[in-house]
Amino acid sequence: MTKISEMPAVGRHFISNLELTVPTNDSWTEPVPANERRVSIVSTAAVSRRGDKPFSWLAKDSRTFHKTDRDLVMTHVAVEFDRSAWQQDLNTIIPLDRLEEMAADGEIASVADEHYSFMGAADPVTMEKSARAVAAKMKQEGVNTVFLIPI
Amino acid sequence: MCGLAHYFESEGLSTILVGFVREHIEVIRPPRSLFLDFPMGRGMGKPNDPEFQKKVIRAAFELLEASSGPIIEDFPEIIPVREGRMGYALPPQLVLSVNDIGDVDVILSEVRNEMEALRPDYATAIAARGRTTVGASGLAIEELAPFIVSFLDGEIPKSPRKGIPPIPLLKLVVEDLEAYYTETRTHRDSIDDLELMGEWFWEKTKAGRLLLLLEAVSIASENKVMLQIVEMSLMAPRFWSEGPLPGTSAAGW
Repeated sequence: MTKISEMPAVGRHFISNLELTVPTNDSWTEPVPANERRVSIVSTAAVSRRGDKPFSWLAKDSRTFHKTDRDLVMTHVAVEFDRSAWQQDLNTIIPLDRLEEMAADGEIASVADEHYSFMGAADPVTMEKSARAVAAKMKQEGVNTVFLIPI
Repeated sequence: MCGLAHYFESEGLSTILVGFVREHIEVIRPPRSLFLDFPMGRGMGKPNDPEFQKKVIRAAFELLEASSGPIIEDFPEIIPVREGRMGYALPPQLVLSVNDIGDVDVILSEVRNEMEALRPDYATAIAARGRTTVGASGLAIEELAPFIVSFLDGEIPKSPRKGIPPIPLLKLVVEDLEAYYTETRTHRDSIDDLELMGEWFWEKTKAGRLLLLLEAVSIASENKVMLQIVEMSLMAPRFWSEGPLPGTSAAGW
């Protein structure tokens, strides 16, 4: 396992000094059965549709993209993660095709129409308002399951 | 990302999270987490490998069967990283100085020629993939190198994009330039190796050299934001280096 203590100095210092917000209570929503799952992806890769406003460096807001959108660009401020994988295959970070295949095979009920992206460099505490607004939109379109994928 | 899980869960939505830093998951305790021992930027593991990607998704969704949490599971397969670094890092000794700049017209010409030579393979890559990630900056490919070169005299040029200041735009332009190169090579030579791609682009191409010169200009700059992009490793990949970039205060770290 790649442990923080084994990372090279610069990254190790940054990651180990991050101030983490620890919840006061554990949260839990009882999942629905697999054949009722309508799934929406939330990515912190700061991706958006080409032409959308780029994310600012510590953006609190989100972007929405449709399940059929493939012309996405990334405006994440950080460069410490590999970008060559998603350049080759969007599914490496946002597996829309894989979820569609699983829906077709009956492993889940359906893929949501809308999916969401945030700026992973920002403190999640600052994103709470946007996250709750996204949750409201998800519930409006019948989503019950959220797949959270960092970059 | 772990913190977002709590917001969605408290809104009545069940969440599953995949993550790369197990220690953070353990502290923030999202309800259902799958730890991935993969390089960052590869949440589903391997590009163009649908079966591997589905294995990750199925392992994550399996956590929805748990009756209580928080629960953390480890995905059983590992994608090794080099010496604990989660992405490519420039060699610490590879640092240029403003004294290395020389004739900017020559630099621009060399990068333009290099980009032009890659152009047919870039077009082939787009045609094969049906998409490109180049274009976050909104500038045309021919505009990328000239915009970067315009920073080499130490002055901050005007932004050609309304609503985006010049330095945030510069960052997007740098990433577009790198994407143009790596999209081309990964397809042309069927390479899926982040270390090899980083080494090639940053250490061996004229474009990489241009960006190291830009880094040198940033270090010498009196502009706080220009200095910040090197101190925070927001442009050249030094986040996974064994030491801070010489000439910077490392305040960001």
